[in-house]
Amino acid sequence: MKYWLLVVLAAVFEVGWVIGLKHAATPLEWFGTVIAIIVSFGILIYASGVLPVGTVYAVFVGLGTFGTVISDMVLFGSPVEPLKILFIFTLLAGVIMLKLATPDDSGTGGEQ
Amino acid sequence: MAWIYLILAGLFEMVSVGFMGRLQQRKDILSFVLLIVGFSASFFFLSLAMKVLPMGLAYAIWTGIGAAGGAILGIVLFKEPKNALRITAITLIIGSVIALKLIS
Repeated sequence: MKYWLLVVLAAVFEVGWVIGLKHAATPLEWFGTVIAIIVSFGILIYASGVLPVGTVYAVFVGLGTFGTVISDMVLFGSPVEPLKILFIFTLLAGVIMLKLATPDDSGTGGEQ
Repeated sequence: MAWIYLILAGLFEMVSVGFMGRLQQRKDILSFVLLIVGFSASFFFLSLAMKVLPMGLAYAIWTGIGAAGGAILGIVLFKEPKNALRITAITLIIGSVIALKLIS
């Protein structure tokens, strides 16, 4: 479970740098964007030691998209459309389904 | 040409996910370097493609190739579990991401 929470954390940083790439204007904001890229991929590499790498990446991309679409609607006034809400639900359903169907010790690293 | 850049970007993303798996298995510097170079190349070609193609479309196709390809590589190269529920779930995630990128 701990490692799934790490993937969630990596996705939070991903949302940070996606917003940064689009909106950063000052050197400090660009610095924060670069740090967020490094942190999100660092966590991702760490998590893929315990969870399957293909799974980790799919969840990372999925949750990153979820966070970006939500923050676009909440922070940047992008329109809230029924279709968006529908695909947000199917996306989260996929992530939860994948979590339930993946054994915790099935990582790419370790004793193989 | 933009479409070729886009496909290259997706392929680089896909092999980079493979390098991440290689890094976990071998724990060597070369895998780490390949991982960094792979993702950098992927972003570079994506940015070239986005100069011509609409951003949502380019991002959706890039994600589709990269994440689906990464999941397939994981199953083929690293023997990751491949029961029907997992494959359905990964398909659902990637399909939803592509749809969201296309309509956003």
